[in-house]
Amino acid sequence: MGPESNHWEPKIIAFLCNWCSYAGADLAGVSRIQYPSNLRVIRVPCSGRINPFFIVASLQHGVDGVLVSGCHPGDCHYLSGNYSARRKFALLKSLLEFVGIEEGRVQFGWVSAAEGGRFAEVIARVTETVRTLGPAEKLVKR
Amino acid sequence: MPDRSERIREAARTLLRKNEVELVIGFEGGTLPLHSTPCFIRKEGEVDRLVWNSFCDNNVSKYLVKRQERIALVTKGCDSRTVVELIKEKQLSREQVIIIGVPCQGLIDRRRIEGKREAREILGAEEKDNQVVLKGAGWTDVLDRDKYLHSSCQACTHRNPVIYDILVGEGVEEDTGDSFSDIAEFGTKSPQERWNYFSHEVDKCIRCYACRNACPLCYCGECFVDRTRPQWIGKTTEISDTMIFHLMRAFHMAGRCVDCGACERACPMGIDFRKLTRKLVHDVKELYGYESGTSLDEVAPLATFQPDDPEEFILSP
Amino acid sequence: MKPKILKKRDSARFLDKLLREYEVFAPVKREDLVVFGRIHSGKEAFLDYMNSKMPPKEMLFPQLEILFTYTSIDDPSKIETPPSAGKPRLLFGTRPCDARNSLLLDKVFDGEQYKDTYYRDRRAPLVVVGIGCIQPCPTCFCTSVGGGPFSREGLDILLIDIGDDYVAQVVSDRGKKLLERRGLEDAGADKLSLVKKVIRDAEASMTSEVKIDGLAEKLAEIYDDPIWGLLTEKCLNCGVCTYLCPTCHCFDIVDEARDSGGKRIRIWDTCQFPLFTLQASGANPRPTNKERLRQRFMHKFKYFLDNYGQIGCVGCGRCVRECPVNVDIRQVLTVLSNRLEVAP
Repeated sequence: MGPESNHWEPKIIAFLCNWCSYAGADLAGVSRIQYPSNLRVIRVPCSGRINPFFIVASLQHGVDGVLVSGCHPGDCHYLSGNYSARRKFALLKSLLEFVGIEEGRVQFGWVSAAEGGRFAEVIARVTETVRTLGPAEKLVKR
Repeated sequence: MPDRSERIREAARTLLRKNEVELVIGFEGGTLPLHSTPCFIRKEGEVDRLVWNSFCDNNVSKYLVKRQERIALVTKGCDSRTVVELIKEKQLSREQVIIIGVPCQGLIDRRRIEGKREAREILGAEEKDNQVVLKGAGWTDVLDRDKYLHSSCQACTHRNPVIYDILVGEGVEEDTGDSFSDIAEFGTKSPQERWNYFSHEVDKCIRCYACRNACPLCYCGECFVDRTRPQWIGKTTEISDTMIFHLMRAFHMAGRCVDCGACERACPMGIDFRKLTRKLVHDVKELYGYESGTSLDEVAPLATFQPDDPEEFILSP
Repeated sequence: MKPKILKKRDSARFLDKLLREYEVFAPVKREDLVVFGRIHSGKEAFLDYMNSKMPPKEMLFPQLEILFTYTSIDDPSKIETPPSAGKPRLLFGTRPCDARNSLLLDKVFDGEQYKDTYYRDRRAPLVVVGIGCIQPCPTCFCTSVGGGPFSREGLDILLIDIGDDYVAQVVSDRGKKLLERRGLEDAGADKLSLVKKVIRDAEASMTSEVKIDGLAEKLAEIYDDPIWGLLTEKCLNCGVCTYLCPTCHCFDIVDEARDSGGKRIRIWDTCQFPLFTLQASGANPRPTNKERLRQRFMHKFKYFLDNYGQIGCVGCGRCVRECPVNVDIRQVLTVLSNRLEVAP
């Protein structure tokens, strides 16, 4: 459904690390914190596990936004997974925006297991940004 | 540069005679004007085939990977940098290769010359001093060599080999630092303009993979484009597939690419790959202070991290 | 029908007229590249060219072709094949080597054994107008492989450039139909003698020669010769030579499925890629450069001949020009021939 139909809702895929962000989402849930229901969560062991292809393939398959979220720096369950991921993501985000993928289509965040509220805020922010951008067109395979 | 050709031959002759290497990889004259071509010399008697000129535009370090024999390699500045990366990536041991370094004065961009000539076929070309003399049916043209250098050579800051065992000829003057003004300027365009530009570029792609195969640092046993489980991208020439192919090929080069331009020279369709790869070269340098292929000791930027790496891009709600 | 005169300055207007009846494809300039593309105005055609980067093979055998799409996995009525073209198609300005090539493709896609409907649908109504080569490239070797700069095979009309005019020779009935009632004047004796001179000069200026006689029998003998390893050492195993080749016709069929819909596509493939022969077990009968490059030569100069009675090369020289490492088919064939002469 395109933006012209009033029913368009952004479809957002969220890769959440098992130890922090996924637990953060869980906490948001059990704390009954409201957040937009646009995301589809994929749980991964660590943000360092994210192959950049996950992100690009998501866009190719028609999601409107991608969020990758892991433990705060220093908190990685595997000590340094998120540090490695950070370098990878910095370059990937810059490259995608360089070729013209809208800023905000692909986002990265840190959410700990204790931050249910922050998780909800991150999701709200990502959803709103992607809603403003409209449906993803570039990279989508027809 | 006939003296360099001769000195390369001398070095190769000595190395083969003393049995220090079994194979010399360098360049020989090509079958077409403005072409030199990689050659593989195993016998002392064949070293006279070796040449050096501004048409030696392949990155011959491509041929080092997965070989057992001891090899002498004729390298330009950029080739030597990919040798450094290959050694760091453990595709090659330093002891296996004797580097015959050639200070490089830049390579001629044959397509730019051919493009200018249009329907006038070039039948012969030779280099004299700083000029390229072209000959055709009933015409001769003299070009200023420096005006027709490949774009990667114009941006080059490592014309002299960064490592070598034998240096052929005098060192050449280096340009002071790459300003990446092309990347900065492109970055000022709107996202849509940038997308249109790259869409137009990759739309030319015929998926021949010459870019990938010409790259000395593309040596994966199985390339992501060939994977079927999971199949990361389709095999088609639709923009979505070709864009992702070129994006991810470039990304795979992050922190490794030395901007030798071999991909661009190999592409039959004239796709501007270096916009992509140079963006990453630029970012890696700016964010992590790393310049690939310049040091055997420095750890590759994506194989390490600093706790205080820049993270302005991380969302803070 | 007598040869007609098409004045060069009238050629754009002539094409404009044809555009009313045909979908016209002609060489066009895209930045530095000359490629074949659909034109909508006669002015777009770029006829003063040496040869196009890509052959017009795409007209008959596109790199990407949708065979069918489906929108349900249960309901066969939801299978749709792409609609066939509307207007008849006209390929204008092709070189004789590329035109000759369509006869080779016919043998593969429209032969006794296999008839490819997708190919036939494109091929049958196609009208081909070629331009002879008054200035063959140094890389051209059409005369060595049975063609020539003014070969008429595969053409409906041949245009010969005599300076300010083209002389249009009718080759087929279809060509005759196209040329009739266009108000073109007959070529006079002076023009026809110019044609003879132009052809003579062009043929004399062909510089490349490749020895093809007896190659096929001998290729079989040296299949295991170590020379292959040496000849292929510098090859990068990219697909430039085969994807730019008018004759190469290998393809892969891929299903692109998503949810309950999808499409089956046909896409070019090449013997130069390891994946081409990779088996499900992981074994690969052509594991290295050597086997893959050898296959290219064996297919063109032996297997194609065995199967169809002609060699699978028209001598356009694209692979010679565009190979990133200057693997020159002419040089390789020469080495192979010489190799054979010294062999017992």
